[in-house]
Amino acid sequence: MTANRLNSNSIEVANAFEAIEAYFERGWSDGLPIVPPTPEAVAAALEAVKLAPDTLLGVEPIKGAVITAEKAAINAVMAGCRPEYMPVVAAAVEAITADEFNLHAITVSTMGAAILLVVNGPIAQTLEINSGVSAFGPGHRANATIGRAIRLIVMNVLGTSSRDGLDKATLGHPGKYSWCVAENEASLPWEPLHVTRGHNINDSAVTVFAGLSGLQFGEHEASTPEGILDAFAQRLYALGPGSHEVVLVVCPEHAEHFARAGWSKAQVGQYLYENTRKPASEWANAGMPSGVRQENGAEPGSGGEELASTLRTPESAVPIVVGGAGGAWSSVIPMWGLGAKTKAVTRLINAVR
Amino acid sequence: MADQNTLRVLDPTGTLSIATDGMAERPDSLAGKRIGLLSNDKLNSEALLDAIYDVLAERFDVSTSHRINKGDASRPAEPEFLSDFSNEVDVALLANGD
Repeated sequence: MTANRLNSNSIEVANAFEAIEAYFERGWSDGLPIVPPTPEAVAAALEAVKLAPDTLLGVEPIKGAVITAEKAAINAVMAGCRPEYMPVVAAAVEAITADEFNLHAITVSTMGAAILLVVNGPIAQTLEINSGVSAFGPGHRANATIGRAIRLIVMNVLGTSSRDGLDKATLGHPGKYSWCVAENEASLPWEPLHVTRGHNINDSAVTVFAGLSGLQFGEHEASTPEGILDAFAQRLYALGPGSHEVVLVVCPEHAEHFARAGWSKAQVGQYLYENTRKPASEWANAGMPSGVRQENGAEPGSGGEELASTLRTPESAVPIVVGGAGGAWSSVIPMWGLGAKTKAVTRLINAVR
Repeated sequence: MADQNTLRVLDPTGTLSIATDGMAERPDSLAGKRIGLLSNDKLNSEALLDAIYDVLAERFDVSTSHRINKGDASRPAEPEFLSDFSNEVDVALLANGD
């Protein structure tokens, strides 16, 4: 029986309320009450994902924090996950520990990124991960607890929290409590995110991003892809030149216009790449040197007439469709350090291993 | 095992697989020592190191300085990089910045 094979230390408390307080006292909470991780609850989570407790899900490359299935399950139970959410948590742990995600840096940095999880494929419906009305908002257990599980793993297994001083974020980010959505695949004008990233449409997958605060905007008048993208462009200018990756959250009402016009994701990226260029001197004058002149050996910030786009390449734009019907509100989510030193990572979700 | 009147709950914290060494031994004196200045490439980190070095050079009879920049504040320096550096210097100053 799995419960007998668990290796973690344990504490004994009188009841669930005492457990909640004990976890607060030890700094094992994100500031909200946790669900007490009893051996039975943790075993049920592991059995749902068919993983032995000592299965290695990932090792954070810089500090060497070892994330076993058992530790992931303990934190998932604490977060309030149902056992059947564990395959998503396990895949997300694999994703965040990939070297190119640069987990240590994005979690300790003063810039204060949060980890955005985007789930694609059939499992999103099975687990009722919200992709529609108020997808980034509260009220949906799968979204709230899967995202929270990943943050508790970062805090407890990596030991990276603001409480012990390793998370140095100047402002912090509400997405650090939880930030998990599914893509609204019913409203897509193009292929789902995980298909763009090389997987099959019938696969389930999770993609992780090191996201900063989003810039939400309304564009209620434009009814063409170009008009909507011009509104996106205004928010991209605010980020400065040269984003390596940036998430464009396209709401369903905007997505309909792309569908009607038959636009692809590649066209979206190409349009924004070409239409958000400014001379290096203008970027420099705005306090956002483009690097164009530096690459040519000139002084930083000097700037010339060479054009620099908000996007490093057309593929730097990563459109996802999220949100409810009604309302033409989309958003731009910048990446930590413009995505120069962190890359989105996608991992397959194996419903039963 | 918890008895019927108690609840057993599990420790969520993990372990680190990379050994951490303690602080290097402090030298008795900086006299004649080669000072290494290791910048992490953050804005102003080299200016900070230079300013600290100037103070050291003024107060102590240090030998030389050796400056390197690891080129990426978000990741540790490559081991070979640190190995070469440690052969060139007796003490090292590391700078953060912004």
